[in-house]
Amino acid sequence: MIHILLVSSDKDFFTDLASNTEENVDLSISRASSGSNALSMISGNRFELVVSDESLSDMTGLEFMKKLVSTNPMINCAAVSSLSSEDFHAASEGLGILMQLPPCPDKTHAENLLQHLKHILSITNTAGGLN
Amino acid sequence: MKNGRIAVPSNGQGGLDGTRSGHFGHCEVFTFIDVENGEIKNISTLQNQEHVQGGCMVPVNLLAEHKVNALVVGGIGMRPLMGFRQVGIDVYHDSERAEIKPVVDDLIAGKLQIIANDQVCGGGGMNPA
Repeated sequence: MIHILLVSSDKDFFTDLASNTEENVDLSISRASSGSNALSMISGNRFELVVSDESLSDMTGLEFMKKLVSTNPMINCAAVSSLSSEDFHAASEGLGILMQLPPCPDKTHAENLLQHLKHILSITNTAGGLN
Repeated sequence: MKNGRIAVPSNGQGGLDGTRSGHFGHCEVFTFIDVENGEIKNISTLQNQEHVQGGCMVPVNLLAEHKVNALVVGGIGMRPLMGFRQVGIDVYHDSERAEIKPVVDDLIAGKLQIIANDQVCGGGGMNPA
């Protein structure tokens, strides 16, 4: 089971990812309405992926990502951003964000995100041997 | 450092006489130096795994599973640094020297500093993971 937390003040945020739960029985979707709410939920629950909207009610998406990474670095994260890919890379450098999503991400983005997440999860748990 | 395993991101085949990789997450191999009573007892290498966007925890888990105690980097991002701290691996910093051996000698002698939060990559000039 892959546990995903969607963080947005919009209750319809990334509904295409949420609708994937109907096709992918191994997904569990939760929602948080603010950054602080999300951090609270993360401290008491297991999530493999957190997806943040660009602006939250109490902080920006990137501010939330920095707080998330500093306390829960093992959780994979994706973020909505309207920045160019170059500007986003500079703004998020070191945060290890696995995917930048456009405002109003759709089903294609959801599929790409899930495919990338599953790949990361598969190699994260595979250790090589000493030479 | 008197006892433990040091990991150094390395170019090519790695080894104590090799050179360090500036991008730890993208390095080809990790050179492992096992230290006992302040002396080098064994050298080995470990092939790094595939690096993908957002896969910062891959090398963290890899080194943790191979019982690494200390890592020396030229640069590192906030997320992997926090990950290494979480799994109990000390991260040291040397952005000057390309050779592995003098850096390892300094770490064993206690002359290298543990990297500070304000030395991580992110809007600065360091090399990210």
